[in-house]
Amino acid sequence: MTLAGFREGYARALEWVVIVLMATLAIEVTMGVVFRTIGMSLAWYDEVASILLAWLTYYGSALAAAKRGHISCPELVAIFPPAVRLPLALLAEALVFGFFILLAYTGWSILDVLATDHLVSLPEISVKYVQSVIPVSAVLILVAEALNVPAVFAEARHGHGGGAEDKAKESSH
Amino acid sequence: MEILFLFACVLALVVINVPIAVALGIVAVIAIATVQGLASLPNIPIVMYNGATNFPLLAIPLFILAGAIMNASGISTRLIAFASAVLGFVRGGLAMVSIGASMFFAEISGSAVADVAALGSILIPAMKKKGYPKAVAAAVMSSAATLAVIIPPSIPMILYAVMADVSVVQMFVAGIVPGIIGGFGLMGMAYYFARRYDLPREEAFRWSRVAKTFKEAFWAFFLPVIILGGIFGGVVTATEGAALAVIAALFIGLAVYRELDLAHLKDAMIEGGSQTAVVMLLVATSSLLGAYLTEIQAPQQLARAVAEITTNKWFVLAMLNVLFLVLGCFLHSAAAIILVVPVVMPLVKLAGIDPVHFGLIVTINLGIGQQTPPVASVLMVACSIAKASVWEVSKVNIYFIGVLFAVLMMVTYIPITGLGLVEYFYR
Repeated sequence: MTLAGFREGYARALEWVVIVLMATLAIEVTMGVVFRTIGMSLAWYDEVASILLAWLTYYGSALAAAKRGHISCPELVAIFPPAVRLPLALLAEALVFGFFILLAYTGWSILDVLATDHLVSLPEISVKYVQSVIPVSAVLILVAEALNVPAVFAEARHGHGGGAEDKAKESSH
Repeated sequence: MEILFLFACVLALVVINVPIAVALGIVAVIAIATVQGLASLPNIPIVMYNGATNFPLLAIPLFILAGAIMNASGISTRLIAFASAVLGFVRGGLAMVSIGASMFFAEISGSAVADVAALGSILIPAMKKKGYPKAVAAAVMSSAATLAVIIPPSIPMILYAVMADVSVVQMFVAGIVPGIIGGFGLMGMAYYFARRYDLPREEAFRWSRVAKTFKEAFWAFFLPVIILGGIFGGVVTATEGAALAVIAALFIGLAVYRELDLAHLKDAMIEGGSQTAVVMLLVATSSLLGAYLTEIQAPQQLARAVAEITTNKWFVLAMLNVLFLVLGCFLHSAAAIILVVPVVMPLVKLAGIDPVHFGLIVTINLGIGQQTPPVASVLMVACSIAKASVWEVSKVNIYFIGVLFAVLMMVTYIPITGLGLVEYFYR
């Protein structure tokens, strides 16, 4: 399998995670409204919805990383000549990797500490499972970033692709 | 000084193309590790997790999803047809249609980029075909898309409401009148260009055509209006209203227009999920920096420093307007809100500025920021669709930005423009 093929498959797998989380979130909040309206409020509605939002945030971030959709300003670095762009791209990538390696490590290291905490509305569920999203998604983001490294350096070298317009389309608001 | 240094570090990382969310996180981690020691690092994942679990922010993915589903359901073409029937008879009719359709679309979408991408891809080529200069076509569509963040629902307003701890509903209501004034102001400017370039009229006005297109666009208009009415009336919260908007969008797409299939629905969910994650990761990493700034009492320090110069409300507002206009040129609106609003809120309160009034000012400022290069997400999309250069479009767009600036000044110095409805209904 080629790198491009693997990257495409990886993004597609993350897309399905996002679809499931998005659908679950919409259904859960709607159920919350319906049950509240008929006078049978769901005790776990707020807490579970907040957890789903956090999961959507971090697994969705892995998808956005795979598609290079996170908000950045390539317009500014693009004005430099390739000789400057390349070391800057190297530095930027190193910083991104460093941040998510730290997040994966610290996120993993606290899971045992959190194992004794439980959700308020669903006491049978440990906070450890809920917060596992941080180290797991950090690793997923690292993989996505690694898959994009060749494209990032190719752009820094040649100064094309993934320009401002593409970025603007991908960014949301 | 510490705040300025931290912000300078964030900007330096953004300049070398580190994603803004990661830049915020890196600076916060270094600051926390330097001041509190390495033993505090295990708090980072906990703060970042908690930063992404703020309940009112749930409205963001749901409104984004509702907008994406509505767009995939063929609503854009129906809104354009209705706007054309109502406004097309005026000289430069298609420009008027673009602005009118943007106003209608704004009640569904809370994102200016979504607005310009959905409507611009249809209307900009149509305008070019009718002989509009491509810079005019792009400028009209780009500036009109800003109405999406002023007219409710609005993603930046939800973010501001959470950051400043004010009512999302009051923020939404405050945006209605300035959004409508802005829409008519932009139409006035479009008319000026229509006369200058002798732009054509569309079809003559016919009541039968208005009635026919209205009937086709009826559900697209009124389900969002009913849902927003439910939010404004306190029947449902903004988050619950957003969930109902998703159900309404599915109903319209599957049962009424029958243009929504599984492939479109899948794309809408992926788009909604990715866009949400991009904004929410910013929120999460900024909560790290926010926790540090709160720890060192930076917002209070800033408020005291400015208070030594002045506490005059109008002068403080002028300073904040300049700050946000400059930031808007360099920062994405969500990033600017998340970064700056918590820092300036103590100052805003000290100067006696109504936080809803200030929220509206921030929203319009950052709406203008989406039109001003180098970082101008909405303008870039419009230029890309029109195949025009940013410079070429900006030379025309500056006039439309002038209209939006006039609305900003009106909202800033005649507070009743935005707060009138809020005062009448909620205070």
